[in-house]
Amino acid sequence: MPPPCGQIRATRRRIVSGKTGSMTKCPPLAATAFLAALLLFALHAQKPAFCAEAPASVPSGAVSSLDEDDLDQAGQIVYDPLEGFNRAVFEFNDFMLEQVARPVHEAYVFATPDFLRSGLSNFFHNLNFPVRFASNLLQGKPLAAGVEMSRFILNTTAGLGGLFNVAQHHESFVPVEDEDMGQTLGVWGIGEGFYIVWPFAGPKTLRDSLGWAADHALSPTTYVRPWELSWGLWGVEVFNDLDKVLDLYDTLKQGAVEPYAAVRDAYTQYRRVRIGK
Amino acid sequence: MNFKTKHIVQSLCLCLILLVCAPCAPAKADSEAKIALESCIGKVMNELKKPEMKNPATRGQVLAEIEKIIKVLFNFPELSMRAVGPKWNSFTPEQQKNFLDAFDDLLRARYLDRLEGYSGELVAYTGETANAKGDRMEIRTEVTIRDKIVPVAYRMLKNGRWTVYDIIIEGVSMVQNYRSQFQTVLDKGGAEELIRLVRQKAEETRLQKGKG
Repeated sequence: MPPPCGQIRATRRRIVSGKTGSMTKCPPLAATAFLAALLLFALHAQKPAFCAEAPASVPSGAVSSLDEDDLDQAGQIVYDPLEGFNRAVFEFNDFMLEQVARPVHEAYVFATPDFLRSGLSNFFHNLNFPVRFASNLLQGKPLAAGVEMSRFILNTTAGLGGLFNVAQHHESFVPVEDEDMGQTLGVWGIGEGFYIVWPFAGPKTLRDSLGWAADHALSPTTYVRPWELSWGLWGVEVFNDLDKVLDLYDTLKQGAVEPYAAVRDAYTQYRRVRIGK
Repeated sequence: MNFKTKHIVQSLCLCLILLVCAPCAPAKADSEAKIALESCIGKVMNELKKPEMKNPATRGQVLAEIEKIIKVLFNFPELSMRAVGPKWNSFTPEQQKNFLDAFDDLLRARYLDRLEGYSGELVAYTGETANAKGDRMEIRTEVTIRDKIVPVAYRMLKNGRWTVYDIIIEGVSMVQNYRSQFQTVLDKGGAEELIRLVRQKAEETRLQKGKG
């Protein structure tokens, strides 16, 4: 379900205060792209689709969940037939994250300037535009796909190949959630299947594992040759953003009595909400 | 401008204002639940902004004040019972009391003692939903932390007055997250094991905090 219009408006209002001055020195190509982007946006603005699709203030899904969270209703735990195996992989991943990845990444953060890390992060996010674009289209969200397209054009041109996220601070872009193929499968009504903890890749449901494979098929880095370079790029992409994973993992583990169950539940809750959006 | 024209212009202006404001913002008074939540969050923010918060010597007093405010808003017994789930009824009264104390301690170590790094985050209210009976509500907010917008929703129930029994951060319900953990522990070891683990975790969390 798209966010209620109040939310979008509030977010938009905040974004208005962001910088817009950077557009003044754009090369002609960027200006054209920007015009195209504006045109696309104008098309969205014609019909406030996000507002129209969302029931004004009472999304029905939320009402039923308010009524369903009674004391006698156990939270729906994802089917986990591989629990023994998953727990072993969970321990392995925990060790790799805490003992190997964390110290290496801390050194990386220490040695690399912030702008380089955020530049790389923006670059890969922009490069993975086909994943989000296709997912939006396949989920029947042409307007969000249009926003993604506009952002991609603007960031690739004015944002110097995606190194700068120019669109982020631009008021004309309605914020859209990152969509992926796992969510697409969920929107299509395919069940989440069972829970799998992959070595290195971490928790996924069967559905998200399939979606993840499809995401890779849509990602340009997959087609880079030789394959060593393709894998290397993928490694850089994951490693560069590892601080986010570590932060999230810390938050989940803090105060968790049963970390395995805590991560499994947080993952499935989060994904279920994302599919509803 | 004569009286009649002025009148017409005024009416037109009013119509225009109504037209502009009507579609997405129905003129509705704030709900009781939201007022309760808002006033409490406002009080906590005020405490966090106090200069005493920056000083390690006086920080304890501010945190104690915040705890008082939070204890009024949050319904800890309700939240704890929901986190345990249906097995709560199989606990003896003593186990129930011990669990409430231990869990309270854990949540304090996890959340309250970590408030130090936070100050003056932006909180925007984005919407609310009530159940059919009108005794439960979900108030949705967005908190801006270091340029990142985090959706935080509060589930509240009315029992005389409105109190919070669950927080949902980025779509993840805290109560449900604990319930899934507690279920695993209860299936293996029962109430005593759960109480022991919660106590142990509270201790660990406090020590970690001391280190960091």
